[in-house]
Formats: sequence, structure tokens, C-alpha cells
Amino acid sequence: MKRALSLLAVLMLALALTACGGKKDENKAGAADGIKIGSLGPLTGQYAADGNDMKNGVLAAIEVMGPEMGKLGPVTIQSEDDACDPRQAVAAANKLINEKVTAVIGAYCSSATIPASEPLMAAKIFMITPASTTEKVTERGMPYMYRTCGRDDDQSKAAVKFMTDQLKAKTLYIVDDKTTYSQGLADNVEKLGAGANLKVLGHEHVNQGDKDYSAVLTKVKAANPDVFYVSLQNSASAAPMLIQIARMGIKAKLLAQDAVYHPQLIALAKQAAEGVYLTFGYTDKTTPAYQKFLAAYKKYGEPGAYSAYSFDSTVAYLKAVKAAGSTDPDKVRAEMAKLDFDGASKHIKYKENGDSGSNYVIQVVKDGKFTNYWNPETGELFK
Amino acid sequence: MATLELSEISVRFGGLQALTDVSFRVEENDIVGLIGPNGAGKTTVFNVITGVYQTSAGQVSYDGAPLRGLRPHKILALGVARTFQNIRLFQNMTALENVMVAQHCRTRCGVLGAVLRLPGQKREEERIRERSLEALEFMDLGEYAGELASNLAYGLQRRLEIARALATEPKTILLDEPAAGLNPAESRELMHTIGRISSRGINILMVEHDMKVVMGICRHIVVLDHGVMIAEGEPEAIQRDPRVIEAYLGNELN
Amino acid sequence: MAGGLRPQKARTPVEFFLQQLVNGVTLGGVYALVALGYTMVYGIIQLINFAHGEIYASGGYMGVILISWLFAHGFPPMVCLGAALILAMGYCALLAMALEKVAYKPLRQSSRLSVLLSALGMSIFLQNGLMLTQGVYDRAYPTEMVQGGFHVHGVIVSYMQCIIVGLTVLLLVLLNLLVYRTRIGKAMRATAQDKTMSALVGINSSRIISVTFAIGAGLAAAAGIMVGLYYGSVRYDMGFVPGIKAFSAAVLGGIGNITGAMLGGLLIGVIEVFAAGYISSEYKDVFAFIILIAVLYFMPTGIMGENVDDTRI
Ligand SMILES: Nc1ncnc2c1ncn2[C@@H]1O[C@H](COP(=O)(O)OP(=O)(O)O)[C@@H](O)[C@H]1O
Ligand SMILES: [Mg+2]
Repeated sequence: MKRALSLLAVLMLALALTACGGKKDENKAGAADGIKIGSLGPLTGQYAADGNDMKNGVLAAIEVMGPEMGKLGPVTIQSEDDACDPRQAVAAANKLINEKVTAVIGAYCSSATIPASEPLMAAKIFMITPASTTEKVTERGMPYMYRTCGRDDDQSKAAVKFMTDQLKAKTLYIVDDKTTYSQGLADNVEKLGAGANLKVLGHEHVNQGDKDYSAVLTKVKAANPDVFYVSLQNSASAAPMLIQIARMGIKAKLLAQDAVYHPQLIALAKQAAEGVYLTFGYTDKTTPAYQKFLAAYKKYGEPGAYSAYSFDSTVAYLKAVKAAGSTDPDKVRAEMAKLDFDGASKHIKYKENGDSGSNYVIQVVKDGKFTNYWNPETGELFK
Repeated sequence: MATLELSEISVRFGGLQALTDVSFRVEENDIVGLIGPNGAGKTTVFNVITGVYQTSAGQVSYDGAPLRGLRPHKILALGVARTFQNIRLFQNMTALENVMVAQHCRTRCGVLGAVLRLPGQKREEERIRERSLEALEFMDLGEYAGELASNLAYGLQRRLEIARALATEPKTILLDEPAAGLNPAESRELMHTIGRISSRGINILMVEHDMKVVMGICRHIVVLDHGVMIAEGEPEAIQRDPRVIEAYLGNELN
Repeated sequence: MAGGLRPQKARTPVEFFLQQLVNGVTLGGVYALVALGYTMVYGIIQLINFAHGEIYASGGYMGVILISWLFAHGFPPMVCLGAALILAMGYCALLAMALEKVAYKPLRQSSRLSVLLSALGMSIFLQNGLMLTQGVYDRAYPTEMVQGGFHVHGVIVSYMQCIIVGLTVLLLVLLNLLVYRTRIGKAMRATAQDKTMSALVGINSSRIISVTFAIGAGLAAAAGIMVGLYYGSVRYDMGFVPGIKAFSAAVLGGIGNITGAMLGGLLIGVIEVFAAGYISSEYKDVFAFIILIAVLYFMPTGIMGENVDDTRI
């Protein structure tokens, strides 16, 4: 019995030793004073990668901003896992309220952000989402609700414009994986496409977490569309799809969206990711603000899709607190409205409803990198 | 010196005292009969000897060594095999496979060796097959080697149970009602077979209701009633013992 | 750009059907391999080993670690694959044996519910163990190792699909030989049919149970590696969905029945792909489960019948 137990332990250890370098969490809980920021996102489950990116963005921002906060500091993080589940998100929000955080950066899935925002708003706690793009998030008249990323209605417009104007596509095939976000976006694209003379040859729904798409792809191949629009909830589902698309020899141009944007997509799909287009918020990676973020983020690895947005959300809140000289919600809210600075992801200036505007552009995977490709505003290629 | 000795065995099942202070021996070259009405505890005695049940008190020893705590396959490896009152063959296996599987403990085998079909393994497999066919022949089952156990007639299944027990190369064999369900001709045949087994130097302990069989071949008889040994001795003495007659309400012995 | 969109010849319905069949058989092979572990363990101790999906995931991870290392050191693809298969199968066999000793053996005399709960607990434990040691991010397999494929009458068959089907068939044949032709196989079948009786003919049932766990785990590890190579990546929670599908496959074939698990796996894979291909991929799982329910309704013990013998002393 003891032998068996130790054998089990040794075997688990064997796996541990071959680990890719586990990262330690810095959940430094508990200084009585100072500013406590909640981080809310999926730390387990299939969107764990994105949730961890978000949390790392918050950590990096605290590192940069912490020393600047003077006697308002220190700034600490309380990180909670919502597993992208509405009920768990509400429970986590309540926990954060009890922990006396003054702002929550999160969540990832719109279906978790929306229910979690209710108790937070009642407790006058700021919620800044770096990742939930569903329009409804900021359209509920909530005074402390902000969004640093773009909106799906804008994203679908950019996508359709790209297909018609740049790819000159006539036919379209759509697949989504049935989340509020991925299906909402896909439906929008279908509707806008129909209005723009894009014939939709098919719109398929796959299940979240699927890895085998061979059946759907055989259909796509048979339909032979000009463009195949891939609206999946994350990169881990998209990578096997790209691999199978390549294997099947599907010739359609591939267009995906922001949830699929992640370094992991290229790491997993490799050659199969080459030439894939994505709609993603425009980020100029040459700005000093981005470089500063990159330096602070380095120890967490390569930034994910929402790392910079998460970083900016945290910085924005801390800047507002600093200007207000306290964490009093109404004073901070007044300062949030005045913010106007160059963030890592984009220029940050929140509107009355909490949105910060969308600036979707088309990126392409080229030589194993996400590269800006086409600007829907100007209708021109990036240099 | 393969003697089986039970000393003051008691077994309880919850509130039921199934055996109380049962003591007897099965000596070298012995054929011992264990009789008693239904529910007397005969099968329980077998289960205790073979390690299926644990005793509440007392001990079983074999060759002078106590069997306490040994798991059934270890006890079998010491040389004690048994058959069942209600036939328990491996129904989905052929007659030959039933017998072959019983030689598991007498051979060495590894998964890797088996998969890789190492030469040593192959030779051993051959030996097992030969010995198994021998055991089947001994019980006159040679022609049924390839039949599924479940397709065999009842009488043949009884014989196969014995063949399987013999294949484990026991020094002592426990037979639980081997004649149950057999017709008179088959019973006579069985008595003959038991004699042949005994003449191979195997000690026999058998439970049997058929008094013709018991009185015909047993040299020594133990009588149980409600878990208590009420008599022990030569067949003739047992037949005349008033306590035995009372236990059976006279009807089976007369 | 627009000029680059070459019109392709539309596929014929027959080609479409055959392509879906190839896809379904590939997927089904993987389900079959995983299903065997469920069915063999159930056959022998009537336990639904919930942690089996995690053993499969562990195999996938061991595979990615070994293959990446070997491939990066310039070993030829088939050597990488072969070595990784053997080592990962061995690792998972040990892991499953340890799991059995720690979590199931002490409960041999307890109620079925306790063992089931223990299995659930181990599933969670192993999954979290993988998450903590391997991280939450997907791990990429060197898919460039096996690339390409060929066309047969408009049907695309990738080399990886050939490897999966070929290896699955090979493993199934080996398993059949092991179970029906060797002594250890006979002992396994005997133990599955009647544990007490097999002990009474000298079989060490603990050892046989251990071996059964090991074999099931080995097959699952092979499946984990092939899935990793085929889909390009593994993740700590990858065992959950295929675990459920494979378990359904085992039930569909008649739990406890080895041939049944193979057929069940194949069937679930093919049904799933055809449902997705001809009806809608949204409902492919629904169809797989509808078939499962229908089969269980008309054939309560599955297609091949359960293999549970409940003779008692
Ligand atoms: N596993 C058990 N649990 C409870 N009672 C048992 C068990 N095995 C046997 N018994 C009881 O012990 C008594 C003796 O049974 P048994 O040895 O089978 O009798 P027999 O002499 O007919 O073979 C019976 O009353 C039987 O019900
Ligand atoms: Mg009895």
C-alpha cells in the first residue's frame, strides 16, 4: 500500500519534472490597506489559457503602476476562477466583494461577465472587461462597467468588409461553436454578408471542446466556398481545425476572429496557420507604451490575445485612482471619464457607456507571426 | 505428509453460528465423507479450508502449517483443490481452456512473455496443453476438449469440474456433492472415478447426500448437524449411530 | 487575391460518403482503443473507471514529451513514434496499476458506490495533477513529423489516418491474441467470469486485476499519442469528452465485452461523423447518444451482450 502510494507519487513527479516550467502564482493576499484589485477569468477548463493571460496582464500592470501609487499603495491582486461558467462567475464576484476589492478586471466569456457584473455594480465596484466583446455588456446602463476591447458588431462589419472589398468573395461558409460570443459574431457576419451579396453556402455549429472537425470540413470542401469564416471561442479549438483544413486541402480563404488570436494558435497549428486572416483590435507594437508592457510581461511568456487589454484596463483604473487620490467609487468614476492616454493595446479613452471604441483591422499569419494586413477604415494594406 | 487438519473451527455469519468447534483430519491416502442435512455447514467447511471464508475461531493446517490468512490461490498452490456443489465452470470457455486455466499456479507466465511469444513460454504452453488433455482423458472427456463448457451435458459438466480440479495437481481434493443430479449409472461411474483418483495418491474429502456413494467408498465419515459435529467414525458405525439417524429423521439412512 | 480562388470540381455523393467513412473509422478506432480499458476493467471488477480518460490524457502528454525530445534530436519519425508509444504505454500501465492499488484495491470489499466515488476522485486528482505539472496551455505535437497523404478516387487519406487505423488494428489483434490465446488471457477471462472460482483454481486475482488495468491503460496511452499527433496538440482536460464517448462505446458494445467495445467504438465514431456530415455537426453527439439509448432499449445488454457472470457460491 505504501509502496503503491509512493509509486504513484513518483510517477506524478516524473511528469512534474518534465513540465514546461510551471509558473508560480503571486496571490499575495491581504495587506489591510492599499488597493486590492480583483482578477476574474477562467483559470481552469478549456479557456484557462486566456484566463491566465488576463491575470498575468493584471500582474504586470500592478508591477508597473504599483510603485507610482505612493501612499495609496500597496496594490495587490485577488485572482478568482470563473471557469467561464455563469454561476461560478457570480460566486466568484461575491467572493471578491467580500475580499473588499475596489475593481475587478474581467471576465473573459461574455456569458460570465454579464451575470458577474450585477452584484459588483450593486456594491459599487468597477468592472473593466478586457475581453468580452458582446455588445450587451456595456448597454445595460451600468455606471461602473467598462470595456477596453472592441465590440462584436464592429468586428463583424470589419470582417464582411474585408471579404467583399479585399477578397472579392462571392460565397461564404460559416462555422461557430455556439457560445454567446462565437455564435453572435457568426450570426452577425451571416446577416451582414447576405446584405452585401455574399452567398452563404452553409452555417455549421460545432461543439465547444471538439477536436475532430473532419465531418464538417468534408462538407466545406464539397461546398467549395471562397471564404471560410471560423468563429470559435478560442485558439485551442481553432488549431486542430486549421490542421485538418490543411490536411483536407480546402482552398478557401480562412477568416477567423479575435478569440482565435493567440500565440498558441501558431505554436499548435504551425504551417497550417500560415495565411489565416483574423479580425483583431489594432495594436501598434512599436509604441513606447507597448514596449513598456512587453518588458513587464516578459516573465509570463509571450502575451496572449487579451494580455495587453488586461494590462491597460488595470493601468486605467490605477491612473484614475491616483488622480482621484482615493478609491471612492464616485471620485474614481469622474476620473475614469477624463482618462486619455496611450495604452499598450491602443489609445484609451472611455465613452459615456464605458466602451472604448473598436479599431478592428485584419491581421494575417505570416512567417509564424501575426502581422497587420488590411485596414477596413482606409481599405488599404498595411505596409 | 499431506494431512489436512481442522481444529475447533467456528464460523459466524452475523447472528448465525454456521460452525461450532469442528475438528477432524484427512490423512494421507484417506477418503473422508462429510455428511449432514441441508444447511448443516458442509459447504462452509470447504469454504473455510480453501480460504474463501475466514474462521471466527480455530485453525486449519495443512502439512502442519496453519493456513490462516492465506488467500485462496495460495492455498491451492499448497495442493488443496475443490469442486462445487452447484457447478461453477467458466461457461464461456471450452472444456480444454477450463482445464488449462487451472494450471496457472503451476506455471510461470508474464504478460510480456505471452505477447512476445518467447520460446520458453511456447514450450510451457505446449506442456500445459498436454497435461490438460491428459486430465480430460482421465475423466473420459477427451472428445469434448473443444466444446464450450456451457454446451456440455450436465453429467459431463460435473466431470469437467473434477478434471479442472485435478489439473491443478492437488494432493488433496475436496468434492462438494459430486453425484448431485447424476443418474444411477453416472453415480456408479463416479464412484469408480473417485477410486481411481484416490489410487493416484490424492486424498479426498467429499460431501455427498447419496448414501450409496458415501458408504461405498469412504473409509471415514464426519457428520455435521447445525454446524456441530455429531458423529465421526467408520461407515458401519455411523449408519448405526442413533444421533445420526435422528438428524436425518431416519428417512435417508433406511 | 480574388484571382487565386480556383473553382474546384464539386464532389460526388459517393466520394462524400467515402470520405466521411474514412473520417469516421479513424475517429472510431481511437474510441475503440479507449473503450477497451473501460470494458476490460468493468468486466473484471464491475467498476466504471472514471479515471481512465485521464490515463489517456497522461499517455498523450508522455507522448508529446518523448516525441518532441526524440524528434528534436533527429531521430527518424517512425523511431520517435515507436519509442514514444512503447514508453508511454509502459508509463501509463504503471500509473494505472498504482492507481488501482491506491484507490480501488483497498475498497475491494466496500460498496460499489464507494469505489465509484474513489474513481471520480482519482479522475479529478489526475486531471489537476496534469494541469499543475503541465500547465493550462495546450502542448503542441510535432505534427510536421507525419505529413501528407494520398487520394483514392477523390477521397483524401492522410498518412496519419493510415497510422491510426493501422496501429489500432495491430493493437486490437494483439489484444485478441493475448486474451484468447495466452494463459494470462485465459486467467483474465476466468477472473472476469468468476473471481472466487478462478482463485480456487489458483489464479491470483489481484495480479490479474492489476494486469487488466495495465493493458487497458497501455491501449489508452496509444490512443492519446495518436490523437495528439492527429489533432496536433494535447491538453490536461483532453480526457473528458473522449472518455465519455469511449465509455458510451463500451456500453453500446455490451460492457465487459471486448469485441463489443471494439465494435462500439467504431460505431460511435462512424455515427458521429455521419450525423455531422449528413445532418448537422451541432447534433452529432446527440445522435451518438440517441443510437446508444435505442440500442440499450432494444438490446439492454448492448450489441454483443454483457459479459457478466453472476454465479455465487
Ligand atoms: N456467506 C454466507 N452468509 C451468511 N450465511 C451463510 C453464508 N454461507 C452459508 N451460510 C449459512 O450457513 C449455513 C450453512 O450453510 P452451508 O455450509 O452451505 O450448508 P450445507 O451443509 O448445506 O452445505 C446455512 O444456514 C447457510 O444459510
Ligand atoms: Mg452445501
